[in-house]
Amino acid sequence: MSGRAVRRLAWCLLLVGLVAVFGFVAVGAAEHGATGATTTVDANLAGVATQIQHEYTLWKQFLYSYLVAFMFFLSLCLGSLFLVILHHLFDAAWSVPTRRMLEHIASLAPVMLGLFLPILIFAPQIYGWMNVDPHGDHALLAKSVLFNRPAWTVVSVGLFLLWWLFSWRLRSHSLAQDKDGAASHTLAMRKWAAGGIFVFAISLTLAAIYWMKSLQHAWFSTMYGVYYFAGSTWVTLATAYVLALYLKKTGPLKDVVHKRQIHDFGVLLFAFTVFYAYIHFSQYFLIWNAAIPEETFWYVLRETGSWWDVGMIIIFGHFFVPFLCLLRIDAKLSMTVMLPMAAWIWLMHYMDMQFNVMPVLHPAGMSLHIFDVICFVGIGLVLVTIFRRWFAAHPPYPLRDPRLKEAITHHEVKPAPAGVETH
Amino acid sequence: MPETNTPYALIAEFETAADIMNAAVRVRDAGFRRWDVHTPYPIHGMDDAMGLKNSKVGWFTFFGGMTGFTTGMTMIWWMNKWDYPVVVGGKPLFSPMFAFPVSYELTILLASFGTLFGMLFLNRLPKLYNPLLKSRTFARFSNDRFFIAIQCDDPKYSGTETRKLLEESGGKQIHFVED
Repeated sequence: MSGRAVRRLAWCLLLVGLVAVFGFVAVGAAEHGATGATTTVDANLAGVATQIQHEYTLWKQFLYSYLVAFMFFLSLCLGSLFLVILHHLFDAAWSVPTRRMLEHIASLAPVMLGLFLPILIFAPQIYGWMNVDPHGDHALLAKSVLFNRPAWTVVSVGLFLLWWLFSWRLRSHSLAQDKDGAASHTLAMRKWAAGGIFVFAISLTLAAIYWMKSLQHAWFSTMYGVYYFAGSTWVTLATAYVLALYLKKTGPLKDVVHKRQIHDFGVLLFAFTVFYAYIHFSQYFLIWNAAIPEETFWYVLRETGSWWDVGMIIIFGHFFVPFLCLLRIDAKLSMTVMLPMAAWIWLMHYMDMQFNVMPVLHPAGMSLHIFDVICFVGIGLVLVTIFRRWFAAHPPYPLRDPRLKEAITHHEVKPAPAGVETH
Repeated sequence: MPETNTPYALIAEFETAADIMNAAVRVRDAGFRRWDVHTPYPIHGMDDAMGLKNSKVGWFTFFGGMTGFTTGMTMIWWMNKWDYPVVVGGKPLFSPMFAFPVSYELTILLASFGTLFGMLFLNRLPKLYNPLLKSRTFARFSNDRFFIAIQCDDPKYSGTETRKLLEESGGKQIHFVED
């Protein structure tokens, strides 16, 4: 198959996906209009107390929309922190030129804390379990060590402080190395990364449980943390791909980002496409196979109304479409495949966040609200503005990293004068 | 074995990676198809310098994987839903859910078979004998020398012209290897 045919096929698949998304959103909106504004989550199966009364208000809609957008952008922040940590753990060379931009995104953690304040303050309006007496709800009582408001507040703030600490140390050593070029910074960053990977795994899991999973506190899934991690790293890799390409085309990374970096991001993106599918399938499969009401109610709700279609879109759009499009080695370097793919990946991760959060507020089916757009654009703008300011204020890549030369030398020998393609 | 003494390839020796890289570019630009580069270690960028395209092995992998997946799904559907229907654990007689792990394993198995056997097929392997090993100097390709071998059955091959090309590219010890 020629490169052109591949591109055509990829475009067709994307187009079909897009039409499906818009179609079902339209249907979902119509259905929601018919069912009215007040809804009740009733997944009370076989005596399991999972019933939370929810009165739909515009304020609640705002908070939920805000939570979805927040979790989306938190994915980018944590995914970047993970990629920076990974770089140091593997003593990688190829990713040196793209490390600075990821360090900046990871360092947005304290900004994320600021953006978290509405969720922190109005938590009882979002998380139903905060209004329930644990003595009347065994599922809550059993989890009450973590599931009480003081613990929730302290741990939530603590998570941001941890991310802030690690991202700050990793970035400040990196910036200091730009000035003095000392190898000791590399060694220090490696130590922070070695401890950081454990802190990262635990803190991300807690964040996913506290801020998304606890919307339905009675549920069990040991895969939930890694599930959020897989999706987060996936969307971060797509973002890093486009960002690296953009910074190469516009100048700052022109001489240091080559085909190799772009290709490696593509390969990792492909790997995480599969990894996410593997994790989400496993979570569903275990629950489906055991078929006990304490676990199934979460998916039963998500197979109601147009949430069923969202689930299908996640299966096909989150996995099959990117998987098939990225399968070929040359697709990972084709801009006509990868740029629409990155936009598609943002859309799919957003759908995934909606799928996790919104069924609690809209049990009848997906219902997009103008607040969804406002919150997404709002949080996005804040983060982009700060990122741009940081990026402009510092060197665009680690100038004196010991492995920089290795990273930017694509050919081991000097390219031949005539006829040789240089990358 | 009858002695044929037909020339198999013209080989040239180079001393550095940069030399052979430049020489490979010239051989590529001259339009040769049946030739190869032998080096002690992989040289990044050599694929481009030789004008090598993406390997076709991927197609064997892909169709191997597709075969594995469809085999798994069809097999389980046929056994559980059609040939000998038994309800297990209150589950439907067939669901892609429980058929998936097996289909997925078969996808991987047959995809790796496709990769291995596709690679062997495309490389015409196993091959028990390679005429190049007759050359005494050629043995240094696994130590400290770099070689280009142009096969005599290449459509572009002509005794004097090809030798001249290799000489101009900086090749040393240019000689024939017999089949």
